[in-house]
Amino acid sequence: MAQSKELYDAILNGDAKKAHAATEAALAAGALPLQLISESMVPAMDEVGRLFEAEEYFVPELLLAGRAMRSALDLLRPLMTASGEKLSTKVVIGTVKGDLHDIGKNIVGSMLEGSGFEVIDLGADVSPEKFVAAVEEQKPQIVCMSALLTVTMPAMKTTIKALETAGLRTRVKVLIGGAPVTMQYAKEIGADGYSENASAAVGLVRNLLAEA
Amino acid sequence: MDRKYYLDLAARGLRMPIGTDLVMHEESEPEKVRNDGEALARVIERAARRWGTPLAVPLMDLRLEKIDLLALAGISATDAETYHFGSPLDEATLTRMCGEQAVPVCAGSLARDEALAYIGTRPDLVPVGMAIGPFSLTTRLLADPITLAALAGSGVEAEDSEDVQLLWQCLRVSEAAVLRSVRSQIRNGAKAIMICEPTACSAFISPRQLKAGSNLFERLVMEPNLRLKAALEEAGCDLIFHDCGELIDLMVEAFAHRLHPVILSLGSSRKLWEDARLVPKDVVLYGNLPSKSFYSDGAMPVEEVVRRTEELVTNMKACGHPHIVGSECDVLFVPNAQDTIREKVDAMMSGAIAV
Repeated sequence: MAQSKELYDAILNGDAKKAHAATEAALAAGALPLQLISESMVPAMDEVGRLFEAEEYFVPELLLAGRAMRSALDLLRPLMTASGEKLSTKVVIGTVKGDLHDIGKNIVGSMLEGSGFEVIDLGADVSPEKFVAAVEEQKPQIVCMSALLTVTMPAMKTTIKALETAGLRTRVKVLIGGAPVTMQYAKEIGADGYSENASAAVGLVRNLLAEA
Repeated sequence: MDRKYYLDLAARGLRMPIGTDLVMHEESEPEKVRNDGEALARVIERAARRWGTPLAVPLMDLRLEKIDLLALAGISATDAETYHFGSPLDEATLTRMCGEQAVPVCAGSLARDEALAYIGTRPDLVPVGMAIGPFSLTTRLLADPITLAALAGSGVEAEDSEDVQLLWQCLRVSEAAVLRSVRSQIRNGAKAIMICEPTACSAFISPRQLKAGSNLFERLVMEPNLRLKAALEEAGCDLIFHDCGELIDLMVEAFAHRLHPVILSLGSSRKLWEDARLVPKDVVLYGNLPSKSFYSDGAMPVEEVVRRTEELVTNMKACGHPHIVGSECDVLFVPNAQDTIREKVDAMMSGAIAV
């Protein structure tokens, strides 16, 4: 049962204004931020993911839902900071060095955020050194790398090597994705997982965390 | 040219990759070739001759029109690739960016045009131009184009949202930019132009919204491309339409029937022998072997390329639709994978000849 049915519906329908209003109303009625996330927002994004897998929703619906979810999170974050509440899992995400495409990465980031993970987005054209620095500083459990171009895919391997060299590889699970990327390639370069789409990426992160 | 010319190429069993990038990377300094008209022309010619095609296709460099367009807004070529508009444009900027008289300024565009002029002097080659499509250029001008398109598709109008206003403004300046590029290429001898609209697909335009009655695909994709097609027709230049994105049938049908290109090039997510029912018989289908995976022997071993080529050739012969065997997109150079990519292009060129 969703803590706020209005918030759940607003996210499912990709309506940012309604999500914002529903969050304000729920907070005014005494709902706690983490409760709203776990009981309304995460279930809504799970349903969005299910509809995507069923080919009833498409990428635009994922993004609208993500936008609605963020409009709610924007209200909740300051309250969580003030009360010392934290999301349990941290994910660092970025498009690899030499690649400026960030749409796929943004969709995955949005879905992960909507599923209750704290997402640290390093942006596009992220060097291996920057990934290493982010893992050192942020101490995430998961690193997600994206590449759209065949010419930039080798930077995924370079980044994994850089994490190994820095002695950080065993601290994180590394996931890769992007149009030319395959499961075979993930195995070849020593990544822990590959996801074909944003919705599946959420499931993959959950599975990897459960295994850890 | 006569549409029959392309139908004859298909009837003769022409096969060709879009492979100029591969050939360019055989040069000692490929990135210099990109901006050197004479050197680029030689590479384009060599690519056409290597694969025995009269269609001399340039690089599929879809950055050029954006660089030329943003130059009109005072943004340098260096910054152009990562630049996105964040708020609605003022009228003066819009007018400047839509100006008909602007000419290409970026080195890659100038080289492309110079190469076209050179190819025009080779009597056995057809100078083919290349441009990004208006919608795909629009998506490159925005940081979050899918969300903005989805907002527009949900019924939000420009008057209600600055984001949606910006989307329509970007489409307007993009159409003008593509038109300028196309006209410049025609002035330099292009007889056909490949318009590439890879983002005119279900990842950017929601089939759910279309099913619910949205006219978004019409407004964002078809209307500007129909005007582009009319401009090409007026200049006697043929349209080759390329879209390797994930498409739904109504998109394929609209491209095939309403844009009515001489060649329709689709990505490997489509089964061309099934798409043949959506495409008029006087439109040659091109493609669509999964060349984006050629770099990987694991994902796409050469045996699989041979198998898919045989399947494609057999099924296209069975359905009787004019077809040129080819790649799903441009076959890009990948460091340390050039040999396996070439092997697979060779397999595509020779597989199932006897069928």
